[in-house]
Amino acid sequence: MKKLAYFDASIETPEEIILAADFIPVRLFGDPTIGIDKANEHVPPTHCVWARNILEQAIEGFDDDIKGVITTHGCDCTNREFDIWLECVNLDFFFLLNAPLKRNETALKFFINDIKELVIQLEEKFGVNITSTKISNAIKKMNQIRNILREISEYRSKMILKGSDFHALVKMVQQIDKNKALEMLKSKLEELKTQKSHLDNNLKRVLLTGSVIDDTEFIKFLESLGYHIVIDDLCIGTSYFWDNVKENEEPIKALAQYHLNKPHYSTKFPSYKRFETIKALAEKYNVAGVINIAQKFCEPVLYTHPYFNKKFKELEIPYLFVEMEYNRESYKQLITRFEAFAEII
Amino acid sequence: MSAVKKRSKMLNATNKLKNEMGRHFLAIEQAHRDGKPTAWATAGTPVELLYTMGVQPMLPENSATISAALKKSQDFIELAEEEGFSYDLCSYFKTNVGAVLSNADMSLGGTRKPTFMLSSDVICDTHVNWFQVQAERLNVPHFTIDVPHVVSNTTNRQRNYFKKYIIEQLWELLDFITELTGNEYDPEKGKEVALNSFELGKVWQDIFELRKNIPCPVSTRDTFGGLFPLFTMTGLKSPIKLYKRMYKEAKERVDNGIGALEYEEYRLMFEGIPFWYNLKFFSNLERWNAIIVYEPYVYAFTKYTNPNITKNDVINDPVECMAELVLSFWYIYDLETRVKMFKETVKDWKIDGVLLHDNLSCRPNACGMYDLKRRLMEEADIPSLVITADMNDPRKMNETQVLNQIESFIEILRERKKS
Repeated sequence: MKKLAYFDASIETPEEIILAADFIPVRLFGDPTIGIDKANEHVPPTHCVWARNILEQAIEGFDDDIKGVITTHGCDCTNREFDIWLECVNLDFFFLLNAPLKRNETALKFFINDIKELVIQLEEKFGVNITSTKISNAIKKMNQIRNILREISEYRSKMILKGSDFHALVKMVQQIDKNKALEMLKSKLEELKTQKSHLDNNLKRVLLTGSVIDDTEFIKFLESLGYHIVIDDLCIGTSYFWDNVKENEEPIKALAQYHLNKPHYSTKFPSYKRFETIKALAEKYNVAGVINIAQKFCEPVLYTHPYFNKKFKELEIPYLFVEMEYNRESYKQLITRFEAFAEII
Repeated sequence: MSAVKKRSKMLNATNKLKNEMGRHFLAIEQAHRDGKPTAWATAGTPVELLYTMGVQPMLPENSATISAALKKSQDFIELAEEEGFSYDLCSYFKTNVGAVLSNADMSLGGTRKPTFMLSSDVICDTHVNWFQVQAERLNVPHFTIDVPHVVSNTTNRQRNYFKKYIIEQLWELLDFITELTGNEYDPEKGKEVALNSFELGKVWQDIFELRKNIPCPVSTRDTFGGLFPLFTMTGLKSPIKLYKRMYKEAKERVDNGIGALEYEEYRLMFEGIPFWYNLKFFSNLERWNAIIVYEPYVYAFTKYTNPNITKNDVINDPVECMAELVLSFWYIYDLETRVKMFKETVKDWKIDGVLLHDNLSCRPNACGMYDLKRRLMEEADIPSLVITADMNDPRKMNETQVLNQIESFIEILRERKKS
């Protein structure tokens, strides 16, 4: 089956539209094991390393089944690099989805128009017919996935499911056929229901936040240092299944509402609101500390860090901020900082 | 490299800029004294609407350039970094954070606490994040305008609803100001301000037109120096007079065959924000008889670069025009349009080479620069050079290295002239 990729610095791409166009949505992730020489010919080395990593893969060429890409408005880097993709990436279809910066009725109207435009351009390019019924069916399927993911997510705090296993699961759901994903999730949930709490209770229960963190090996690295990610507010995490899309609403409007009603990511305004989400999650899950990871040059996260630092200090919630290179060698250089934080909490 | 340092001739009128800046700062002080509403605004926002609503604008990024010119920006930047703001974040932003923390005087790049803040993501997300940080710290309301991102394959159909979205937000902005200050939108005042803004932009464009002449009558000393009113005073009458004087003087030079440089050999374009802490750097070019005759960044702020926007449009519907202008802002052109405009400019202004500033503090502007360079060289056969530095942080500029790069670049231009 044909696939359509999406490049999203948060998670506001309506996968349902891609499904309704009879494509498999495939979220693009970085690969911290590769070099990025080709991307560096197009983008200065002081720009987001994660975005350059994905550009590198795009220049090298994706799987042949991937016919196009939707870049969803995120940060300056992902938005600006869209034109560079047009220059040097060989795909049939490119669309910049302008997910709005703000959250109000005006922004909602605009987002509906932009999703409708995406529908029109997909129909024109691929000769498909994206009907309301097909979108509604896709919403139902995605809601099922969201429901199960929310349920599975809780097994982290029950000390049954490792954070890295959950991260790998969410990542896989964002890349494979949704029917297969649904089956896989159902089976995983049944398996988890039979298990009792078995993870070491001495692990440090933390909340993970920050930039797009897509390397499961990094989560494993944190686990190797004695941490357990019981909750997160990440786009490869709770932001992907925060709520459900309304099924009794006009489907495009419902999709736009869903994405605008989700908690704020650092790429949206006001990004300080993200603190409220993290605070609520930290309290609900009774975490011992909060770890905020900024990929190198990730401006949205860098701007919010001093505010978060101040607020967590006021709340007396231990908070660790780390700026990180996007390669596995660099993780090792951070061992001391993570170990020191584990000591504190 | 020639050991003799030459100095390009500055227009006498440009020296009067200090008076204009003085007038601007005085207006801010007066507004504070009189309890008149004031607002911080980011570049690219429609400052005209603030003047129309009786709100005195202040642009912290212009203030930041003053700090840099007075060699104060590094101190302010380091102060912001002590607060936890990364070394990699925008140096204008950090200069402002440091200036506010130091309670710096306006003459050193400080700013007054405003009634509210107005930002937009039209140029960068930094503007929005910057004002979010400062609005929280100073405890003032903040309004932001979300401008959809126009890319190389954006269709006219998309532009139409993009524009509608901006128009709606501009009316929301006016409501926001009314609610905060009690001042109502007066359409007549709106027209008057818009007309002044239009005229200011057009006179500046006329000055640029004169720079097509060989020798070029106006150097960067005048353009970087004279830029201030385009940001802060657009909508007022007084800077129009100043620009007209600049134009008149430049025209006289053209009529008499006088250039800003005594002997002009190489005509260059400079893309990006200059190094405000080291403007004398540009004098170095004169050693090689090279002069910058066009700066897209400076030209962008004439605003009225969209040929579809006429004087009548501006007068008839200032708010709608502002929305259109925001969408067609030179500084944020998509790559395809940027390449096209650069190629046309190179031809019209008879440019020999292009200098591109990979500004570590302005990633949106630097993004696409490598492809721009490649395409200019391949499609227009124009030598182009990328220089990496920073607009306000002197720590990030290696002057010797950049000068060596430029010297080699001039050597290439010299060889091309010979052949």
